[in-house]
Amino acid sequence: MHTPKIQAFTRRTFLCRSGQLALSGTSLPLALNLAAIGEAAAFNAPGNDYKALVCVFLYGGNDYANTVVTYDDASYAQYSTIRGGGAGQTAGGIALGKAELSATLLNPTVAPIDSLGLSRQYALNPAMTGLAALFNAGHAAVQLNVGPLIKPLTRAQYNSADRVANPRPPQLFSHNDQQSVWQSSSPEGARVGWGGRVGDMALQAGQNSNATFTCMSVTGNAVFLSGNTALQYQLNTSGPIKINAATSSVYGSSAVSAAISTLIQQPSSHLLEADYNAVTARSMTAYTTINTALAETPPATVFPADSLGAQLKMVARLIKGRAILGARRQVFMVSIGGFDLHDNLIRNHGGLLGKVSDAMTAFYNATVEMGVASQVTAFTASDFGRTLTSNGDGSDHGWGSHHLVVGGAVKGQAFYGTPPPVSVGDTKDSTGNYAPADQWHVGQGRLLPSTSVDQYAATLARWFGVEDAELPGILPNTVHFGVPGYPLNMGFMI
Amino acid sequence: MAFQTPLAPATLDAGADRVSESTAPIQVASLAAGAAALLSACGGGGGSDNTVPGMANPVPVNANYRYTSASNDQDAARLLLQAQFSATGSDIAAVRSQGYANWLQQQVARPQSGSGWDWLEAQGYGDVQNTARYYDSSSQADYMVWHQLITAPDGMRKRMALALSEFFVVSASGLNFTWRSHAIAHYWDTLNTHAFGNYRTLLEAVTLNVAMGYYLNTKGNQKANGKGSQPDENYAREVMQLFSLGLVLLNPDGTAKLTDGKASDTYTASDISNLAHVFTGYDVDQSQNVDTLIPQTGGGTRKVGNTAFARLPMVLTDSKHSFIEISFLGIKIAANTPAKDALKTALDTLFQHPNTAPFFCKQMIQRLVTSNPSPAYVQRVAARFADNGNGVRGDLAAVWLAILLDDEARGPAGLSDSAFGKLREPMLRFVQWARTFGANSTSGLWKIGDLSNPGSQLGQSPLRSPSVFNFFRPGYVPPTTSLGAGAVAPEFQLVNEGSVGGYLNFMTNVLSRGLNSGDIKAGYGAELALVTDAAALVQHLNTVLCAGQLNAANQALMVTALNANAVTAASTDSVKKNRVYAAALMVLASANYLIQK
Repeated sequence: MHTPKIQAFTRRTFLCRSGQLALSGTSLPLALNLAAIGEAAAFNAPGNDYKALVCVFLYGGNDYANTVVTYDDASYAQYSTIRGGGAGQTAGGIALGKAELSATLLNPTVAPIDSLGLSRQYALNPAMTGLAALFNAGHAAVQLNVGPLIKPLTRAQYNSADRVANPRPPQLFSHNDQQSVWQSSSPEGARVGWGGRVGDMALQAGQNSNATFTCMSVTGNAVFLSGNTALQYQLNTSGPIKINAATSSVYGSSAVSAAISTLIQQPSSHLLEADYNAVTARSMTAYTTINTALAETPPATVFPADSLGAQLKMVARLIKGRAILGARRQVFMVSIGGFDLHDNLIRNHGGLLGKVSDAMTAFYNATVEMGVASQVTAFTASDFGRTLTSNGDGSDHGWGSHHLVVGGAVKGQAFYGTPPPVSVGDTKDSTGNYAPADQWHVGQGRLLPSTSVDQYAATLARWFGVEDAELPGILPNTVHFGVPGYPLNMGFMI
Repeated sequence: MAFQTPLAPATLDAGADRVSESTAPIQVASLAAGAAALLSACGGGGGSDNTVPGMANPVPVNANYRYTSASNDQDAARLLLQAQFSATGSDIAAVRSQGYANWLQQQVARPQSGSGWDWLEAQGYGDVQNTARYYDSSSQADYMVWHQLITAPDGMRKRMALALSEFFVVSASGLNFTWRSHAIAHYWDTLNTHAFGNYRTLLEAVTLNVAMGYYLNTKGNQKANGKGSQPDENYAREVMQLFSLGLVLLNPDGTAKLTDGKASDTYTASDISNLAHVFTGYDVDQSQNVDTLIPQTGGGTRKVGNTAFARLPMVLTDSKHSFIEISFLGIKIAANTPAKDALKTALDTLFQHPNTAPFFCKQMIQRLVTSNPSPAYVQRVAARFADNGNGVRGDLAAVWLAILLDDEARGPAGLSDSAFGKLREPMLRFVQWARTFGANSTSGLWKIGDLSNPGSQLGQSPLRSPSVFNFFRPGYVPPTTSLGAGAVAPEFQLVNEGSVGGYLNFMTNVLSRGLNSGDIKAGYGAELALVTDAAALVQHLNTVLCAGQLNAANQALMVTALNANAVTAASTDSVKKNRVYAAALMVLASANYLIQK
């Protein structure tokens, strides 16, 4: 099944017909979409001995245009003009030179077709050689123009004063809120994220003998991994922390050590005290189990020595020790910061993306080494995309962005979703409708997502084992999707 | 637009701080007697303090507080641990004798102690020729700020500056330019200079500060170039979202203003794009620069400037400034308005917006007193922001006093409320250790570095926030909290299964071995004097570390544990010290301590 072609066709068909047709039960894309839904893998299907999702969060808002870079001559020319590129397709302003992109050119089995009907080419940032190779080998895919949406939205609807009929995601363009919306569908203050809810579902299905190790973070606190029953367990790249004073004699006194062990785990009628000690108690309880799991010989694959490499190496080691952790379904989160490049985009962005590419490539190789490549899927996420326009030396906060999905169960060497036209224009016709080329951004090339985070997440969740009926409980906005042009299953997972 | 147009210029003197500008009559009302006693104390016996400037104009104090003085050491310590970093015996005695308001007024009147910049210079960190290449390092900024937090005599000013550093965030971890330690030191000094001054003055100083200029990209921000490039929006966005208004319209009590059950955005994307033009044309001031050629290994030289630019406000170049008409938050700035006037109008507009007082004040209450202040508490403090009692808006000293003297902060109700208080930030616990037990640096170098590692250190270090969003968000809710709906616990964003142990292991070492190979060590003099009496030792630590908030059962648990190893006057020093370390560690580990009520 050539899903990439179908997805492109879906968008294009929808755009061409949406003016004339309401929902059509007989349209080819919808029929195929329904068929795909019927294939949903349940948690308890035979052979599903282990699955893991790994969220790689790029904090700060990743610049989409220099990550998945437009490459065909016509589109590149527009990109270069907007970003201040040099003559003869050379680098300039915040545009990358075209010649530098040839080594990371993506060669999909089917070329993606944009909303104007044009066949498009993309390359990854020149620093992303590892992920480009994985893409071209069929182990990675690109999800184009994905971002938070409550409902499908056109640019006219985005600008509409009727926010009840055309709701916008809350607090667009704000870092902390959009991080939260990506992770939980709600702005700052959310208590439950979709990674955690997916973990809840796995626990309900009886997948894990120890609930503590269902959702594990090797980075700071993030709402993504918090479920209702699945808790977020955090550890460092060096492993779990043993609390020395509570586990062995301290200052020459075992009595003091015992007292500390009591003090730091005791319940309290004060809610904040209780909350704090609950975390400490969980840390103490889990320490031995995790340490035993980590005693397994680590994968031989060499990981980069930087923070993201160390985080993903820890995830690989935990996956290796999954039997000791009693885990058949796990959700992990790692992160890398520094993407808020209002300045120095050219100077700093490649280095960051190189780290992402190197670490995710090493992680994929480690899953191959451990024989679990088709059971582990890593995907990127970020606060938001950025403007296509330059602010002189960088780009500003945007909305939709392009993301990568990597793993043996990914239908790789393919693009999903629809390429947005390369445009920063605001041209309207006499009736006030935006020109087709200006339809998929909301000014300065801040992409209006044509795929919602809910669709992206639902596709991953279904692979993980979540039933369709369970999706609204995990991703509340999915009730507004699964309509023509916005399938609940983007098709990038087997 | 639900907000007032900018105020009359007369009430808004951007160049003057409260202490220097206020000529209004003293308004101490029912505290007149106490104030008189204080004035005589200042004039009478304070040594070098007898000419404390500003005490002629103490911060006005609301007359209606119910709890005005400490009836015991615990109550005094409670105020001290909210208003500064530690509660030593002499501090407790001063609060008890002076009363809450007078003690606070006296702290406000204290002159600012030596600057961070001067300390860097005195340590030789401004030497461009030194082969350690101090100009390429931010470590000296860590030494500087820890030294200030631990040793400065004006503890309240430092405490408030630290709270401000978590609102107007610049992080040494996000800066990478020559002489960044000096720039950070000047930023810290700026927060201290204005900590008892005016919010509006501070806002402008922050806006034009070099470290902030680099951090949020005002430095080098330029008008549209006609080839598609637009002004950088970063500062325009964050000055509204984080430094003044917040995202949604607020009631005067800090709750969201709801229309049909829904909150309204404070500003739009267009407001940001427009405001961005105001912040164009600025760059660092190199007018006092002198370059030095530094020979490089492998040949050649590198040109390194001097430190001067790092403490000069950014300067404007008109040719790079955008003079187009600006429309934001319902006001217009006409085309070709001089850049300085446009900046004034923009910052005045933010200062006068009805959101700013409750938005700022609620977060300061959260930093100093409790994560979930009642709306009425927020409203009372915000009212003092709006008018300090003398008709001045934005008087920060009046805000601190309103926060700390409020019945909700001082009264006993909070001590028995199961949701009152906040998690003590790890950096505050560490500074409290150092000040309480008399830590000193034998070498005088105070080389305490970045303690941000959560697995082996504090997981937090001053002026080292991971982003402009501070170490934690004011709206953070711990995922598995037992708090009720709508309640938050911002500092818990630092709490996880790794960091809880990292903190304890770090403090276990620090207590007995100090830092930097023992160069920085505490003396524990007061504690060693009590060491043979475990109950007295625990009682003392209960007061100075947690204002008496250890419950009786935990005190008993600690005493029993300490008595398992007998300590007498004849015991060795090492045995005595071990008991002190053990007692302190038990307190520092207990949730009764960690949650400050």
